[in-house]
Amino acid sequence: MTAWVLGLVLASYAPQQAGSALLDPPREARVQALGKQLRCPMCQGLSIADSSSSAARAQMDKVRELVAAGRSDREIRDYFTSRYGEWALLDPPASGMNLLVWLLPLLLLVGGGLAIARTMRRPVPVAPAATAGTEERTPPADDPYLEAVRAELRR
Amino acid sequence: MTSTLGTTLVLGALLAAAFGAVVGIEGGLRQRAGALKIVLGAVTAFLLCMLGANLTMVHALVTHDFSVHYVAQVGSRATPLVYTVVSLWSALEGSILFWGAILAVYVFAFARAHRHDPPTNPLLALGTMLAVGVFFAFLIAGPANPFGRVSPVPPDGPGPNPLLQNHVLMVIHPPMLYLGYVGMVVPFGIAVAALLRGQLGDAWMAVLRRWTLIPWTFLSVGIVLGSWWAYAVLGWGGYWAWDPVENASFLPWLTATAFLHSAMVQERRHTLKLWTLSLSLGSFLLTILGTFMTRSGVFNSVHSFTQSEIGPTFLVFLGAVLIVSIVLIAVRGPLLVPEGTLGGVASRETAILVNNLLFAALTFTVLLGTVFPLVREAFSGVRISVGAPYFNRMAIPLGIAILFLMGVGPSLPWGRASAETVRRQFLLPAGVGVAVVVVCVAAGLRGAETLLTFGLAGFVATVTLREMSLPVRVRMREQAEPFPRALWRTATRARRRFGGYVVHLGVVLVFVSIAASQSYVVHTTATLRPGERFQLGAYTVQMTGIRNGVDPHRRWTAAEVRVTDGNGREHLLAPRMNFYERSTDPIGSPAIRSAAFEDLYLTLLAFDQAGPSASFNAWIFPMVSWIWWSLPFFVIGALFAAWPERRRVRTDAAERVPVPSKARSPGAAA
Amino acid sequence: MTRRGIWIGLSLAAVTAVLLFVLAKGFGRDPHEVPFQLRGKPAPDFTLKRLDTGAPVKLSELKGKPIVLNFWASWCGPCKMEHPVVAMSARRFGQEFQFFGVVFEDTEENARVFAGAPDPSFPQLVDERSRMAVDYGVTGVPETYFIDAQGILRDKVAYPIDPRTMMEKLAALKQPAGPVSEVVR
Repeated sequence: MTAWVLGLVLASYAPQQAGSALLDPPREARVQALGKQLRCPMCQGLSIADSSSSAARAQMDKVRELVAAGRSDREIRDYFTSRYGEWALLDPPASGMNLLVWLLPLLLLVGGGLAIARTMRRPVPVAPAATAGTEERTPPADDPYLEAVRAELRR
Repeated sequence: MTSTLGTTLVLGALLAAAFGAVVGIEGGLRQRAGALKIVLGAVTAFLLCMLGANLTMVHALVTHDFSVHYVAQVGSRATPLVYTVVSLWSALEGSILFWGAILAVYVFAFARAHRHDPPTNPLLALGTMLAVGVFFAFLIAGPANPFGRVSPVPPDGPGPNPLLQNHVLMVIHPPMLYLGYVGMVVPFGIAVAALLRGQLGDAWMAVLRRWTLIPWTFLSVGIVLGSWWAYAVLGWGGYWAWDPVENASFLPWLTATAFLHSAMVQERRHTLKLWTLSLSLGSFLLTILGTFMTRSGVFNSVHSFTQSEIGPTFLVFLGAVLIVSIVLIAVRGPLLVPEGTLGGVASRETAILVNNLLFAALTFTVLLGTVFPLVREAFSGVRISVGAPYFNRMAIPLGIAILFLMGVGPSLPWGRASAETVRRQFLLPAGVGVAVVVVCVAAGLRGAETLLTFGLAGFVATVTLREMSLPVRVRMREQAEPFPRALWRTATRARRRFGGYVVHLGVVLVFVSIAASQSYVVHTTATLRPGERFQLGAYTVQMTGIRNGVDPHRRWTAAEVRVTDGNGREHLLAPRMNFYERSTDPIGSPAIRSAAFEDLYLTLLAFDQAGPSASFNAWIFPMVSWIWWSLPFFVIGALFAAWPERRRVRTDAAERVPVPSKARSPGAAA
Repeated sequence: MTRRGIWIGLSLAAVTAVLLFVLAKGFGRDPHEVPFQLRGKPAPDFTLKRLDTGAPVKLSELKGKPIVLNFWASWCGPCKMEHPVVAMSARRFGQEFQFFGVVFEDTEENARVFAGAPDPSFPQLVDERSRMAVDYGVTGVPETYFIDAQGILRDKVAYPIDPRTMMEKLAALKQPAGPVSEVVR
């Protein structure tokens, strides 16, 4: 019962600050781009540009204010990391141990490519007589599926 | 009483699984034919106990029996009946109980389907699957016991998580994902059987393939539904955030897809056996890892449940399965001698090999990115984030490469292809691809990666449609069959091929929609009073008023708007904010107007009852609903591919492998 | 067991060991916890106006007494539960500590209704556009920050504070700043 009274009370109060007014398009684009790089503290893994939570909105306002004040992208990112740590950046900065997360997939691709190349170098058996002998009978002989369809229809 | 009944049934399941696992593995290794009957009995007992336990829990939920621990946790008298039933899987313990039931159904279906097979393989496979069942039954009976008794009995409960009550998709998405996830235990058992025996014949390979296709289909559907849910419910306009749990469902899908392709090479060339089996083992391992990620509370994600002792237990199980898999691969793997070789560079095998490499790289990258924050914290104590920007940057090039291969593979023949063939096969599709890019550029679209995706989509669609239509045309010409008959005959004569191409078309749809909906978004935000309007693209949005409402489990406030689209038609939308007692922030419900080629997406940011006024976020997402439209392609394609072929020559009953899934195919062969 | 098998086995085993180690280390820490970097640093200066009188309050002019900042919002249910706890602490310890409430992402009318009659020991401050909250690294509401008499930000509680935690934090606030090793819990 008290829960419902509480609910009644709560429903009348809502986040009523919609966020600050947008800047002109080029600067607003910068705000949005920066917003996509910064992590919303209250949500799970969303950026502050994407999240509609109150904390995200407040932080977007801050980004807008800093962009309007002429700060550089790096200064704005530093502002947030000085308060929340590297955690605030959705893209791990490419330095130190973080380089692993960028390099290891590349290594895997290269290594795997080499492994495939080595497998390919094994001798390939000459294609069976289907090419030479049957060519006069049926056109494109190197489409075995078509061959199979025709063979089946003839059955 | 309910608690006792439930716990007893779970213990019964544990005993049945343990017994069956021991008999199965031992009987399989010693090649004891008589053991199969015993194992089949154990499987049936396992099924009955698990189903019974689940039904007991559902009964307790529906009758609001708050003396049962789980019901006290997620039940509530205010929750509508549908969501009460759904709350079976809405929280940790219940979802593991549900997992146990689905596991039992899958194992039973497999046992039924293969009860007449030569017994050694099914014995080993069933033994393995039941061993997995032992773990889950133990988990349910012990650390994750939902049947504990609560005293004093509370009069009411808090209800399930509010996010799970917002949308009907929440009813379908988890079961689909579970059917996909849990189903991976079957190919795992089959692969372990093959490794234990040190041989992989054609018949058993076919079994492995079919039993991977079924959970793969459910997993695909579950993932697409999950992203649809995220889009329609979470209100940020996105459908994929590279959240750890989204990644957890994606990883086994990637390895299973790679498997389905390398299985073709295995079938044609009798090579790559160990790699193919490793993919099967990997799919199951990733399922367990994914469950760990979701359940352990170690990862920060939308699905994170509270931490409990389940995490360490899962970790031990994960370690055990990993060790068993590694030992099997290292010791028995080399016994799987390739019986053939691969073709030349320009051959379908090579294309599939490269495809596998790309899938493996993508799997590795997603896994690495998801786990990396933990790695950094474990080794240096620093907390970092690896989020969407990283995953997108890595996944997009890989995805584009995979898309390209989707057009190359089907164009090339098996074995060697001459330069002449290559030129002939690629000329038309490449031309179509380039034409698509030219048309897009002429229409004003920009963005290198996006245009490349569109061009490749045209390329792949041409290749796929050509491969599908070629036999149809041959039939029409040489057999004088009318088109529908020719199409049907073609499809049913080469089901896997046809089904595979249908799925490819679905995948092309997904690529195109993702590219369009990410690159050409239009966005604005505005604050309106009633009567005022704002413009977005061709749409005019006018606010008409604010409305409040009360549901049994929440209260909401909606801002009503009238939207006029480019054709002058009017639509009434009402984006909402929902207030649940349990959350500090209200949870918004977006309002979406879906047209054929774009979606108008509105959310309510803030409102003022006194004004009245409301602030909105508005987006236009081009082509986004085409992603959900890929679902029929996936399902129809997979149905074709999985449907058993009628044998012309009936040998003995052991060769027939009927479609096992009761849930999907009503007219299944006996 | 072939040589190739041994190589494959060993490398897979190594990767497995690392993976299991990393996952095991993840237990016990809260994945939702947000790092608090400003601990031990000077509290950022602010100038906010009081909700009741509109008079400006500047942090740099408040030297001398330790300060407790409590962030809340009218739409936040748990804040409603927490408010009396903080208000009572303010009344009890208002001589030794200065308590302030800061409104987060909300309008003044809502805040006035929520706060009720103005309490001299627990004045409420208006934070326009939540600029000051972001400056402090607020991640949501309710949150309570503890600043010592020298203006150093010592600690923060990122959940609804209970009387016992409040006592502990207040006691710690009176001590001189020691090595930074407390965990936010």
